[in-house]
Amino acid sequence: MPGLALSSVEVVYDKVFLAIKGVSLEVGEGEMVALLGSNGAGKSTTLKAVSGLLGPERGDVTRGTITWDGTDLLRMGAPDRVGRGIVHVLEGRRVFGHLTPDENLVAAYSGRRGSQPFDALRDQVYEYFPRLKERAKSKAGYLSGGEQQMLAIGRALMTEPRLIMLDEPSLGLAPVLVEEIFGIIRHINAERKLTVLLVEQNAAATLRIVDRAYLIENGQIVMSGEAATLAKNPDVQEFYLGGGGKVDYHAVKHYRRRKRWLA
Amino acid sequence: MAYFLELLVNGALVGLMYSLAALGFVLIYKSSGVPNLAQGALVMMAAYAAWAMVDFGLPLWAAVIAAAALMFAFGLLVERVLLRPMVGQPVIMVVMLTLGLEILLRGLVPGLLGAAPKPLDIGIGLAPVIVGDVFMNRAYLVGGVVAVVLIGASMLFFRTRLGTKLRAVSDDHVASWAVGLSVERAIAISWGIAGIAAVGAGVLWGSVQGVDWTLSSLLFPAVAVVILGGIDSIKGVFVGGLAVGILGSVIPGYLDAYAGGSTRDVVTSLIILLTIMIRPYGIFGREDIERI
Ligand SMILES: Nc1ncnc2c1ncn2[C@@H]1O[C@H](COP(=O)(O)OP(=O)(O)O)[C@@H](O)[C@H]1O
Ligand SMILES: [Mg+2]
Repeated sequence: MPGLALSSVEVVYDKVFLAIKGVSLEVGEGEMVALLGSNGAGKSTTLKAVSGLLGPERGDVTRGTITWDGTDLLRMGAPDRVGRGIVHVLEGRRVFGHLTPDENLVAAYSGRRGSQPFDALRDQVYEYFPRLKERAKSKAGYLSGGEQQMLAIGRALMTEPRLIMLDEPSLGLAPVLVEEIFGIIRHINAERKLTVLLVEQNAAATLRIVDRAYLIENGQIVMSGEAATLAKNPDVQEFYLGGGGKVDYHAVKHYRRRKRWLA
Repeated sequence: MAYFLELLVNGALVGLMYSLAALGFVLIYKSSGVPNLAQGALVMMAAYAAWAMVDFGLPLWAAVIAAAALMFAFGLLVERVLLRPMVGQPVIMVVMLTLGLEILLRGLVPGLLGAAPKPLDIGIGLAPVIVGDVFMNRAYLVGGVVAVVLIGASMLFFRTRLGTKLRAVSDDHVASWAVGLSVERAIAISWGIAGIAAVGAGVLWGSVQGVDWTLSSLLFPAVAVVILGGIDSIKGVFVGGLAVGILGSVIPGYLDAYAGGSTRDVVTSLIILLTIMIRPYGIFGREDIERI
């Protein structure tokens, strides 16, 4: 099957802690799929199992299979998986803070045989994120949170991925910025047929842009389906979309007052 | 005044040769975040290697190239055999490992190749170079020039594509893996390059003071240089080397007569202590950028 497939994947940290318990999911080629869940549910662990980044955290896939276009990923090191077109944008952005945005892009460019020229890829990134170009010469560590997220995505695009996995790109960003970044991801997905696996806690914004979604709780997939269907599901509304879509105006007012007070 | 200038100039040149010993330390720190306490032994081993090649009958230039190739390979080997199994372990364990390597090499290399000091003639005359009324040690002058060239070359290297990747690896290992950089390979390359830098330091110092285990005690001034200059800054190696060399020459030049000698080591240790207390990141060391 083309695309990504996880089947009954189990991950254990430190040889004892079972973090995900038999996760199965599929992302077809060109699809945009979300993995939603609250803090500690096992979202990042799932992505690390795919990208091969469990090793440095003493984690290990102890059961199940992960395939990409039918080839077994589990025996490959992280750089080889990137070579196969899989890239992971880490939680918390993790840009190379002491390098400039330009240098961040250079570092991620492999220059392996068959790749596009560096300049073409970089221009493309700056076209998606014009803001980065303005800051191209300052240290990435001093960029704003939104700019760092854009850089983290741009840097990932330099590897010429076929599958991009994004771990909570909306974390800590203002809603307008989230809209902007999600819009660009959607655009890249549509324009370049780039397969996307988007990990989020922010279910409301996410379900608006993805095709399908999986819900993960306590290391297990508890629900999956078309985004529109899920958004209408009462449980999803209650637990992920803040109570039946009704806004509690009293709470909002209270919050506004508090905020003015603090400011 | 001429005495002062002489102390100043020769101190600066010696300091640049310390920089050369310190260069490998910074290269390794920059890519892996590990302070390499085996740097002194690498310099010693490089000097032994060059001496052995000359002794074998190679002309000096060929001996230097062969020693550089050998030390590069040795650097790769250290990463593969000692460091790679340590991935995910706390840095302090890796630091202890490099200390163990230092002690091992200090014993092993002289044990195999002979502990008695060996002359390494690199064809520099003994006659001093005289500018005005300042006498400069010719070997130091050559050493200083070589040091400046190699430091400059390293600075340029870190602007290349490969150098940028090494800097990225030093910033964040996991993020590097995530975009397909081989952290292991980057660390191996930086150890290899540190091995080559050690050849520069080993040959120059070996020609000045002979080749034996004492070359490994260059670790001490080298550590002073990197702490003062900033542990991950090549510019810092340059400036720190000059400062350590000059202070270590001028101050003893006036005080040794009263203190009965060896104030240089005191100066060097004071540099280390004072820097750590007053400016822990050194002159050019990077502070961790606060994430916004
Ligand atoms: N490096 C680690 N060592 C041990 N336990 C971990 C590690 N990383 C995550 N965990 C645990 O695994 C579970 C899933 O974590 P994670 O995948 O980070 O969740 P999420 O990304 O959904 O917030 C949590 O209980 C967490 O405490
Ligand atoms: Mg997470």
